[in-house]
Amino acid sequence: MGNYVNKIAVICLPFLLARLFQKTLGLACGFFFIASLSAFAQNSPDQPIADWPSFKKQFATESLRLLSIRCDFTQEKILSALTEKITSTGKFWFKRSNKVRMEYTHPFFYLMIMNGDKMLVRDDQKENRITIKSNKLLQHVNRIIIDCVQGTILESKDFSVNVFENDKTFLLVMTPLSKTLAEFFKNIRVRVEKKDYSVQSIEMNEPLGDRTTILFTGKTLNEQLADAMFAL
Amino acid sequence: MRCLPFSLSCFLFFWSCAPDYHLHTIPLDSGCASKIAPLPMTSSWYHASVDVTGNHWSGLVLIKSMPDSSHRVVFTNEAGLTFFDFGFSKDGKLKIYFMIKKLNKKLVVQTLGKDFELILGEPFRKGPLQSWDTGQEVYFGVKQKKETAYFITSKDCASLQRLEWGDARKRRVSVKISGPGYPSPEKIELTHHTFALRIALTRIGQE
Repeated sequence: MGNYVNKIAVICLPFLLARLFQKTLGLACGFFFIASLSAFAQNSPDQPIADWPSFKKQFATESLRLLSIRCDFTQEKILSALTEKITSTGKFWFKRSNKVRMEYTHPFFYLMIMNGDKMLVRDDQKENRITIKSNKLLQHVNRIIIDCVQGTILESKDFSVNVFENDKTFLLVMTPLSKTLAEFFKNIRVRVEKKDYSVQSIEMNEPLGDRTTILFTGKTLNEQLADAMFAL
Repeated sequence: MRCLPFSLSCFLFFWSCAPDYHLHTIPLDSGCASKIAPLPMTSSWYHASVDVTGNHWSGLVLIKSMPDSSHRVVFTNEAGLTFFDFGFSKDGKLKIYFMIKKLNKKLVVQTLGKDFELILGEPFRKGPLQSWDTGQEVYFGVKQKKETAYFITSKDCASLQRLEWGDARKRRVSVKISGPGYPSPEKIELTHHTFALRIALTRIGQE
């Protein structure tokens, strides 16, 4: 009996693993893009914003002016319990609407492109094309991304958002409302520059204390970006 | 000609049942065993490439050697999100610190646990060792409940060739290591022989 169960397990395992990886990859990539479409950085004394309705309106209006972003990024993943970190760098492009290209160049190569409801990921060996519509989790995440792009993230039903500000930046503290998102994030802190409403940094805080921070530098805004960059 | 499909089926049946191992027990050469036995890995980051039944995925793996001689294994995607974090205590017991719900299934945990147990050489610290000869290679192994963990060297005991999980007849999993940096080698390639799962790890050099 034990052997029989083992044989069934061996037959089923690859399919189970494939399914699990497919679903989790889509979700994880989506989260990453959410983070990428926002922006943040560092903080000083942040105060809750004084006029919420006015900020909301202004955020939506100003976000519309951001047509494209080209910049470098530095990503730092910190495993707090293990006192370990890994730093990676690369290039980031965003083009309105719904087009993102993120290219990790050091210390490994990894490319993610999102274009509408399609996504491509490529490492140094192979590439995967994913249709967001075929993946409910990714579809869910796609909604959030669109909210970010359209400046309606403050009305997102996936996160409760608290907004703070200092003299140079806004800080959006996004706390997941659903269990699915809460499994990955304690919160996401997006810092947005007041001068142009572009993302300065993104900090993804995980439930067990690990943290990933992406810092965007050398930004060029609203230049012409060829659609070919986002071709899948 | 009419018999060809039947003959082919018979051939494939018997071929698939053919044992991978033709091991002959030999006296343990303790000197060779202690020279070749996998050393505990030091802390390193790896870029992971996973192929499961035609699907390809990647991410980052941290293998961390802890001060108490235990090991931790953490898998994140490139964007930094943690998918699982487990470890092996000093006595080799598996402990899950974190695993996302979609991966937290008994079968997945067992498979990943056994895969990294072999990569880390945990079974060989539990002993006792036995040894076998195939004519070309020498197998050193530690028997567990249903399977045996092997580390394999050439007849002249020159270097570690690979690691394997297997039962009495069949090879289940093999691990090949290559490149400089041992005991945290540049490349680690784990292959399952009973289904299509391959995990390739390439060490990441950080500045």
